[in-house]
Amino acid sequence: MIRNWIAKVAVTLAFAGSAMSVSAQAAQPIELIGVVKVDKVIVENGKEKHQLEDPKVVVPGDKLLFTTKYRNASTETVRNFVVTNPVPNGVALASDGADAQTVSVDGGKTWGKLSTLTVSDGKGGTRPATAADVTHLRWVLGVVAPGASGALSYNAIVR
Amino acid sequence: MKGYSRLLGTVGAAVAVFSATPALASGTASGTTITNSVTVNYQVGGVSQTATGASNSFKVDRKVNVTVAEVGTTTTQVSPGQTQAVTTFTVTNNSNATLDFALTAAQQVGGAGAHSNTDSFDVTNVKIYVDTDNSGTFNAGDTEVTYLDELGADLSRTVFVVADVPLGLSTGAVAAVTLTAASRESGASGSVGAALSQTNTGALNEVDPNFVDTVFADVAGATDGARDAAHSAKDDYTVLAAALTVLKTSKIISDPLNGTTNPKAIPGATVEYCISVANAAGSATASSVAVSDPLPATVTYDSGYGIFVDGTVTSGVCNSDGSAGGSYNSGTTTVSGSLSNVVAGATRTLRFRAIIN
Repeated sequence: MIRNWIAKVAVTLAFAGSAMSVSAQAAQPIELIGVVKVDKVIVENGKEKHQLEDPKVVVPGDKLLFTTKYRNASTETVRNFVVTNPVPNGVALASDGADAQTVSVDGGKTWGKLSTLTVSDGKGGTRPATAADVTHLRWVLGVVAPGASGALSYNAIVR
Repeated sequence: MKGYSRLLGTVGAAVAVFSATPALASGTASGTTITNSVTVNYQVGGVSQTATGASNSFKVDRKVNVTVAEVGTTTTQVSPGQTQAVTTFTVTNNSNATLDFALTAAQQVGGAGAHSNTDSFDVTNVKIYVDTDNSGTFNAGDTEVTYLDELGADLSRTVFVVADVPLGLSTGAVAAVTLTAASRESGASGSVGAALSQTNTGALNEVDPNFVDTVFADVAGATDGARDAAHSAKDDYTVLAAALTVLKTSKIISDPLNGTTNPKAIPGATVEYCISVANAAGSATASSVAVSDPLPATVTYDSGYGIFVDGTVTSGVCNSDGSAGGSYNSGTTTVSGSLSNVVAGATRTLRFRAIIN
């Protein structure tokens, strides 16, 4: 009898929660758009120029720029906004600027600046982690006001 | 406790998956799809919510890169008339895909060889073999080929260019050979694939990120250019011949009238003949040196004295040394004998005596 009552309360709560977000705006208050570009170095008049292109021709060694654009499309304030981004298979985080990010080298278990992390050296010890060891990136934004938007990006190298 | 250890195992497995991205020198395999996905956790009105987003995906294109390298840093030393003289190369597929490689061995006319030398002759009967048994040395088990079949990413094969050396060449003659490996489609196993072409800017497929384009990424080789899907390396053969000088000298040992005191070359006198074989400094060791000397009818072989081989010479004069050997054929009145190996700068002799008729 008591168990039944608890179940009923849970269902009601869940219903109330979903009803609230429906009445607030759309089912998904957060809009996400993922973009990938290739950072091609073009030599023009003897000067190197970086140009972001669509990933039509991409071979190992090419530099990529992954960007996730977000927007709070609702009228509600979004709190505790945390974006977790596994580094895709086949790419490695680019070493330039890598230490500015919060990263994980153990599949998202522990997080920190790259320079503070270590990985197994395969010989029973550990060694400082490098950009190529990064498995996940994370951005902790906290509060995203209604209508606010932004972009989170990182550079990666095709392995 | 049991549950805890199982949890550890799960974490370990997850880490293994993340580090499983192949750390190949040639890079991520051609055709691999790359998609960036994110998970967003947030709260609205105190209720936790999750959103996921993904970038558009694209496929890693085919990067064609091949390297041909000479094995070792020295020329292959050969003798005139040598057959199946071997130069060794490795062909490495640095592409991120399996490919075939058409092999050609070219000779050159003059010009610089591979080791600060100058090409001066051509070898003959040039063939290409693959090191079938992976022994690193050319042997009977190796197969003659015109292409390498289905060579995987980052794999390399040892390839031998095998040729014959003409006779009549002097020490220092050089024959340079260039091995070129041209990338081909992997095609069907057991046959060489079609030629590759680069999908260049403007091509229809180029607008599709999921079409696997082909990009040539090789560097220039000995005789080929950069980004032509081929690579070449040079090696050479250098002749080291024996340079033999043969000299025949004679001296009167005795005559019937003066004995051994100031003997004269009169009938009945004994004459000692010495045939010296000298090999010039810097030459190859001469082996199987056979000396034969048909005697004129005016002298008769002195069988009592016999024949001495492997004697020495001092200041151009034969010494009375050597070991008994050789033979005399009375039918052809010919003295013959074999000398031991004559190394560079050494001289060996064959001595015998005859009576003037």
